[in-house]
Amino acid sequence: MANFRVGADIGGTFTDLVLLGEDGTLYTKKVSSTVGEYEVAIADGLSSIFEAAGLTADQIDEVLHGTTVASNAILEHKGARTGLITTKGFRDVLEIRTLRMPRLYDLHWEKPPPLVERYLRLDVNERINHRGEIETALDLDEVERVVKRLLAEQVETIAVCLINSYANDEHERAIKAVIERLAPDLLHCISADVLPEISEYQRTSTTVINAYVMPIVSHYLQQLSARLKAAEINAPLLLMQSNGGLINAGVAERKPANIIESGPAGGVVGAQALARKLDLPDVITFDMGGTTAKASLVENGEFTRSLDYQVGGGIMIGSRLTSGAGYHLKVPAIDLAEVGAGGGSVVWIDAGGSMQIGPQSAGAVPGPVCYGQGGVDPTVTDANVILGYLNPKFLVGGELELQAKKSHEVFQESIAGPLDLELAHAAYGAHQIVISNMIRAIRAISSERGRDPRDYALFAFGGNGPLFAAGMAKALNMRRIVVPPFPGLFSSFGLLYADVEHHYSRSMMQVLRDAEPGALNEIWGKLEQEARAQLAADGFRPEQVEIRRTANMHYKGQIFELTVPAPDGDFNPEKVALLEERFGQEHERTYGHRAGPEEPVMLVNAQLIGRAIPDHPPVPDRLKGMDVRAAAENSLRQAYFGPDLGWLEAAVLGRADLAEGRVGPLIIEEYDATCLVPPGAKARQDDFGNIVIELP
Amino acid sequence: MAKIADPIEFELFKNAIFAIADEMAVTICRTTYSGVLRDNMDFSTALADENGKIVAQGLTLPGHLGSIPAALAVVVERFAGDINPGDMFILNDPFDGGMHLPDIFIFQPLFVGERRIGFAATISHHSDVGGRVPGSNASDSTEIYQEGLRIPPLKLFDRGKRNETMWSLIEKNVRIPIQVLGDLRAQLAACHIAETQFAELLARYGVDKVAVYMQEVIDYAERLTRAAVSELPDGEWSFEDWIDDDGIDLGKPIRLFVTITKSGDSMTVDWTGSAPQVKGAINSTLSFTVAHSVGAIRCVLPLNIPSNEGVFRVIKVIAPHASITNMVLPAACAARGLTGFRMGDCMFGALAMMLPDRVCAASDGGNTGVSIGGYDDDRKPYIYVDFSCGTHGGRPWADGLQGNSNMFANMASQSVEVIETEQPMQILSYEFVPDRAGPGEFRGGAPFRRDYRFLEREAVLQVRSDRREFRPYGLYGGYPGKPSANSLNPETENRSLESKITMNIGYDTVFRHELAGGGGWGDPLARDVNKVLTDVRNELVSPAAAFADYGVVVDTARWTVDMAATEAQRAALRRRRPAVPAKVMWQEPPLVDAAEG
Repeated sequence: MANFRVGADIGGTFTDLVLLGEDGTLYTKKVSSTVGEYEVAIADGLSSIFEAAGLTADQIDEVLHGTTVASNAILEHKGARTGLITTKGFRDVLEIRTLRMPRLYDLHWEKPPPLVERYLRLDVNERINHRGEIETALDLDEVERVVKRLLAEQVETIAVCLINSYANDEHERAIKAVIERLAPDLLHCISADVLPEISEYQRTSTTVINAYVMPIVSHYLQQLSARLKAAEINAPLLLMQSNGGLINAGVAERKPANIIESGPAGGVVGAQALARKLDLPDVITFDMGGTTAKASLVENGEFTRSLDYQVGGGIMIGSRLTSGAGYHLKVPAIDLAEVGAGGGSVVWIDAGGSMQIGPQSAGAVPGPVCYGQGGVDPTVTDANVILGYLNPKFLVGGELELQAKKSHEVFQESIAGPLDLELAHAAYGAHQIVISNMIRAIRAISSERGRDPRDYALFAFGGNGPLFAAGMAKALNMRRIVVPPFPGLFSSFGLLYADVEHHYSRSMMQVLRDAEPGALNEIWGKLEQEARAQLAADGFRPEQVEIRRTANMHYKGQIFELTVPAPDGDFNPEKVALLEERFGQEHERTYGHRAGPEEPVMLVNAQLIGRAIPDHPPVPDRLKGMDVRAAAENSLRQAYFGPDLGWLEAAVLGRADLAEGRVGPLIIEEYDATCLVPPGAKARQDDFGNIVIELP
Repeated sequence: MAKIADPIEFELFKNAIFAIADEMAVTICRTTYSGVLRDNMDFSTALADENGKIVAQGLTLPGHLGSIPAALAVVVERFAGDINPGDMFILNDPFDGGMHLPDIFIFQPLFVGERRIGFAATISHHSDVGGRVPGSNASDSTEIYQEGLRIPPLKLFDRGKRNETMWSLIEKNVRIPIQVLGDLRAQLAACHIAETQFAELLARYGVDKVAVYMQEVIDYAERLTRAAVSELPDGEWSFEDWIDDDGIDLGKPIRLFVTITKSGDSMTVDWTGSAPQVKGAINSTLSFTVAHSVGAIRCVLPLNIPSNEGVFRVIKVIAPHASITNMVLPAACAARGLTGFRMGDCMFGALAMMLPDRVCAASDGGNTGVSIGGYDDDRKPYIYVDFSCGTHGGRPWADGLQGNSNMFANMASQSVEVIETEQPMQILSYEFVPDRAGPGEFRGGAPFRRDYRFLEREAVLQVRSDRREFRPYGLYGGYPGKPSANSLNPETENRSLESKITMNIGYDTVFRHELAGGGGWGDPLARDVNKVLTDVRNELVSPAAAFADYGVVVDTARWTVDMAATEAQRAALRRRRPAVPAKVMWQEPPLVDAAEG
């Protein structure tokens, strides 16, 4: 009997489960999420797969999990009652934030309420300067009074963040000791453990978020473990982090700030792994669902990470500069750009006579007009029905009957009529405008960073990704598209490719060329020790451990850092110079220019990633049981391809029909997504089950 | 509704051209050197048509709205017949297209072959352009000649050839050339991005269509603006507010007076009645006045209107010659930001009369500028420039924002810890001050204080602040916010300082600035008692002020409101005070009570 690994991805509506055997056998299941007790859907879903497939719980080797539990707690303000202890004079750092507003001219904008109210933010009289010297010593009696006051307020967790603690954590540790003495069972964290980096607001906000979600994440993971145990699944539980690596549940409980953006990470990790197999080192991932579209960059086989982001910052495009919308979290995360465009996005005409898409969305309920569930606004999905791209009778899979006629009527009445356009032309226009909106996400992660999308392949997934991929690629002059198996379940499937990974960092804030090689060795050496100790505790052998050093740097006076690989081994003056040169090259690549050699470069943070390499490749090349059927009945459907080509007959196929390669127009219908191959494009199924489309 | 020939292609074009302007802004932000640019976002980007009319403005500072057309107009006229591919133009002279000297404009004409099709435009506020005082933003200069390097419209590149004379002249006239030249490079990089992407646009649509669509994008914004303006009531509204003084003629208030006239689908903003230009450096150019007039009106228009020439076609701005709103030589203007913020407040006052339920009460009056600069013992120069602002006035539906950038500045604060590693400075306090916000049904935002401790031997401290005498007005029964305050060594000598300061300071001096509190909106006695309770609990309002200003009696042991005592106190307060004025009540009281200081 084969052993299996489980990928479980929880979304607000559905929980996706994927079971993969070491021999490539695969089972998938989409079940409704059990809001409030998300663990129930996972355990029950697995049990029902076991039953249907004749598997037993002891065949499960590990459970890999992506979850939005932590981010939801923040977005819905349902985190724990949190106290914050900070330096005298800085009680309001958390609320003042960076002052910046995300929108101009908007008198209705509200600041996100601070996660800790002012009366639970208490300060202590202490001061450490930027060199780490204590100028005002901590008064432990005062600390005790402050902690007791928070306990009297019945806080469920305490965060501690003092000014300049990145340079000396002594006072924070002393406060931690007082908390542990007075309230041994209270969850708490100090910024020196969560984020020992410069910049008080980002550090405070990150530490507070960590404390704020700690009780919820901890409770959830314990419940989930209990459920799995009850179902006799005793395999280790690993969590996807925002950075694309896995950590065990115990570590996640202590550092929940690392799993906030756990949800969308799986798909990118999977895309990266498949791209490596396909020898496509440079890929742009494109994940489009019902309400949002996300893009990320995989370069030289590695996805890129951003150093920080805003939880609940909403749609980032157009507001990258005027950030301030969400809750600032400074932990590495897969760099995703997001726009509010999906199948449910509403199509409308503004007062200037221009067609607009979104940001309003019909969502899953009432959904597009063609769902017949009470939706009255024309949506992107309705446009796709009119264009013949989507099956006019039912949603693929056949669970929901569609009412194509309603799409036609509503679109004619509220869009095509007023704009004096032919219905098909108007629907095609909506399709194109969504594409132009989504392109901004791709530009944000490519051309705005000096990367030319033409050099990349487009890796498309999500329920709507494969439908729009060809249009996106064409608009960006990209030539190749890859649509993986189970595009609609890919976030879950992607979890199976991830490795266990721990990230560490330390603020340096010094001019690189003045740095003592010995001091650099010491810092990176210490981070490496931490990483190796953690991975050993995770059960990996020393030879499985891979260590990678990186450095955040900027020219003195700049603020946005660039991350470059730092040399391995002992530092010497040549290696320091090499690191500086790497930074100069990266600056030129990203921004098109670099400063002269006289200009000092600041080493802001030393970073290190410790990764465990599994003994066997986590996913076999050949999968069994995939949904690669040929279409039940091959048929033809009229589809509209713009004013030049007009209506053409497109073959409606299943993925398996592409073994030999076909030329578009084609429509590939699958259980969880529909893939559009435009006229003249060539599509084939490759050895790994991907649909590969080459545009003419 | 007007018809666009091909509404779909048009929308695609519009998306693309605004994306270019945004990407220019991202480029400046990411590659810039100076804190003012990177954190205060004091820069703007735009794409203009071949005549210099703005088609698409990037994400930018509202105070720069409308400044680019004025500057481009000068370039287009001055260099008529001599604008060539490979040229780059530079200027900063406020009397020749500029705004104030630190704002350096860089323009690149965009060509198809020999046909000029547009301009890429950038403005950045540079950290120093020479002059008397580090940072070039002294509020006590009295002539432009004291304020730094004046750059008339010139070519920084001529047909691709670098104007070395210009570059070295700039290098020799600014205090920290590495920063200034670095920031100029960032502007060039933004223009370069625009050129590349504009070329892609031309390749996709062809030059003729691009030219047509650029005009169509302007027309489109005009249509949206007119449609929105049509829905506002017709009429005429005036408002008056005062700046404390110009820092030279101390104690002599400066009048701002605006009249907004709205008729059909157009509006006029007229600053006639405002004070003549002043000696101190707070005079503004017409372009700057336009920016704040239009910016304020935009706050009552729908958010989806793109920023371009089309908006300016609908809103006409008049400012009297040689006044503080439209200066002439040799006016000093480095610190004119102050006047801009206050013009914004003044506009909101008039708009509040026009649209009582859509506009907030007065903000803290915009940002306070603090600069501390000098030379260390090795004679290496340093400049610390910090702008801070943080309170909005109460709104007809909610409290004023606090710890938030002014609407006209959208700036960000610099990290205290980063400041401490880069500057001979410590920040000892950065927190809200209780009982300073203007009471109201929706109170003003609470102001914060910042304490700066100086750690070098000697420096020049420059401060530009206001709202000391004329407090942020309240609206419709809301009370004004408390005034701003400056003091030296607050924990020891606690010496009170003027609102505008240029002085020498030495090691261990602590300078404290407290912003003014935002004005309140509506009757404070109508404020939800639970909101008062929350404010008291959060120590933003003291129990005594809750009692005196809001008539709310808070039990601080149990954190409840004593409803009976509250009713009694509210009734008593109502009896004692004059009837709540129905209209705007900023005049009450305009001047700080001596006792309140």
